[in-house]
Amino acid sequence: MWRTLYSIFLFVFLLAGCESSRIVDQVQIIHAMGYDWKNGKYIGTAIYPTFRQGPMTKPDILTTESSTTYDLIPRLSSKSALPIEEGQMRLVLFGKSFAKKGITEIVHSLARNNKVGSHLQLAVAKGDAEELLRITAETTLSDTLYLSNLVEQNIREMNLPNTNLHIFLYNYFGKGRDPFLPYFEKKGNFVKLEGLALFNDGHYVGRIDLRQSFLVKMLLDQTKNGVYQIPISRNKQKGRVLLENLFATSRYSFKKGKQPVIDIHLHIRAVIRDYPTWLDLPDKRAFKLVRNQMEKHLNKDITALLSYFQKKEIDPLGIGDFVRSHTRNWNEKSFYQQYQQLTIRPHVKIDIVQTGIGE
Amino acid sequence: MKQAERERFLISPFFVFFTIHCSQVGIGVLSFQRNLNEKAGHDGWISVIIAGIAAHFLIWMIYKIFQLSGSSEDVTNINIQYFGKWFGNVLNIGFVVYFLLLALIVLRLYIEVIQVSMFPLMGTWQFSLILLLLTYYTVSGGFRVVVGLCVWGVVIPLLTIFPMLFFPLEYAHYRNFLPILDHSVIDIFKGAKEVTVEYLGFEMLLMYYSFVKDGQQSHKWAQWANVFTMFIYLVVIFISTVFYNEEQIKHIIWPTLTLGKIPEIPFIERMEYIIISIYVLVVFPIICLAVWSVTRGLKRIAALKQRVSLPFILIILFIASLFFNKREEIEQLGKIVSTAGFYLLVGYIPALYMYASFMKRFKSKASIE
Repeated sequence: MWRTLYSIFLFVFLLAGCESSRIVDQVQIIHAMGYDWKNGKYIGTAIYPTFRQGPMTKPDILTTESSTTYDLIPRLSSKSALPIEEGQMRLVLFGKSFAKKGITEIVHSLARNNKVGSHLQLAVAKGDAEELLRITAETTLSDTLYLSNLVEQNIREMNLPNTNLHIFLYNYFGKGRDPFLPYFEKKGNFVKLEGLALFNDGHYVGRIDLRQSFLVKMLLDQTKNGVYQIPISRNKQKGRVLLENLFATSRYSFKKGKQPVIDIHLHIRAVIRDYPTWLDLPDKRAFKLVRNQMEKHLNKDITALLSYFQKKEIDPLGIGDFVRSHTRNWNEKSFYQQYQQLTIRPHVKIDIVQTGIGE
Repeated sequence: MKQAERERFLISPFFVFFTIHCSQVGIGVLSFQRNLNEKAGHDGWISVIIAGIAAHFLIWMIYKIFQLSGSSEDVTNINIQYFGKWFGNVLNIGFVVYFLLLALIVLRLYIEVIQVSMFPLMGTWQFSLILLLLTYYTVSGGFRVVVGLCVWGVVIPLLTIFPMLFFPLEYAHYRNFLPILDHSVIDIFKGAKEVTVEYLGFEMLLMYYSFVKDGQQSHKWAQWANVFTMFIYLVVIFISTVFYNEEQIKHIIWPTLTLGKIPEIPFIERMEYIIISIYVLVVFPIICLAVWSVTRGLKRIAALKQRVSLPFILIILFIASLFFNKREEIEQLGKIVSTAGFYLLVGYIPALYMYASFMKRFKSKASIE
């Protein structure tokens, strides 16, 4: 009896050693992948770290072209001495022409691929993805994760709304919402985040700048960060104040009827970080003036942003989804037929919590 | 058998909580949202509750059947008692085959999960062999060892996997629940039918009832086990509803596993691998319990010693598991087992219950006259 049990155990442990292993320095771990569409061909660029002595890594680049998107990664393999591993991929960058052509195939492939995580970042580059990836490989000393870290930092601290593969897929598949992605531009020898790229059904249709993406961030969800510059004026004196968001909440409400109206109540608790010297903020009257002007300005900006979305017939804010949650048997098609005529009214309320330590 | 000697093999009523809960929550939790979503959409949670209440009734019926039949043995006895030796044994063989298929589908589905998400290059036979050898070890230890495994099969996943389910709430869209009851009542009941299969597993009680000390005392634990199962399913469906939208869930094969992609800790980036590994503790007791039920059934029908039949059953399972390689074949097998289980639940158990209560009344009337 015991002998059989022992032999069983031996067998189990021996078999358990049969699994396929991938040893970390014997694979090529891709950290970012770029897709471009150029002269009728797809170009794939992979950026990966090569390990040198000690903790230093050097970013290296592999690139290949093909007539379909599917075999880009297999084709990369034919240029690499080590097997390519996509499990640690942090960023997928699409060139603008590729994004315009449609990223549906890649997105579906990513959704199916169990190797990539949900925290993967997607982004769009003005121009070529390859060029941008090359810049990051050259300018940064050892950082293959440069762009993905840049995105994450801006989500956490600045104006970029939360994005990753899961959120993109949620917006992409979901009825009554459209996806958006961070938008990068080449500025001299640097890569700069320049706002949000907007998609309709997997096709790039337009972009907004970082200022506007702050509005999107606040309108989407509760947010804790972001800055926004607002012009103010008093008695012919003109200047700007810098508003820093501490905590913003948005609440949507929906009035049914022949002319449905959507009200967006945005409540921002903010710090005024910088303001012109002529403004005497501790003074109550000035304070009120600034607040009123800021609210008015934000209302105007949000209205402009919403009408831009309506004109493009895209819905990154998920207004369709919001209406769905308040309508029985909501129909996506009929909603978007009258989307352009829909009245959406923003109501911004700002509480200025503090103005810093000096007066 | 002397009472004292027999008692060595029995479990106390409390452990029925673990055996029932453990056998209910299986491989289905990983993917049941998909089918449910197809039928009832975001109102799926109502279906989960309806199916749970139905399961409560069925458990009650099982206990009633044992009470009415006056036997504290198992379903093989009852079948013969009510349907005669010939037809009763046909039913018993049906049970044995059903449990065998149950063990097979759970084994194969789990191996599929491993193959798809962890080791795509590995063959079925390696996993099958490892798991079935462990099954041999467990089942040959007797029913109490199987129950011991069930206890850990509930406690460990509850402490490790269950908390991870809450991380995705970071991305929750609570609006997804609205409007409540957007689907017709018929759709919701269709969804409930889909979920009923997920509550399957307690029917194995029909086999091990005689191994529970003071059988009827365990009734309340069985019901609590079902309450707990319903709670787990409600949590899973709640989180999946707020995390995914209806369209997105159609594109994901194992929505619960994909939820596991969200938690991120510095030294383990991809939690779903951990979840799949720990999941063996959820799956393995079910296989053991089902295999044990098969050997027990064979013992009752053909007086085969469990120690003798066990290796043969494991060999059959091993060979059978090799035949299902394509996803469609596995799905087909799954469909067969779940349909069989569904009709066992909504057909056989209520029918047996009515028959038993009818016979009881008939007999008591006859004895009065």
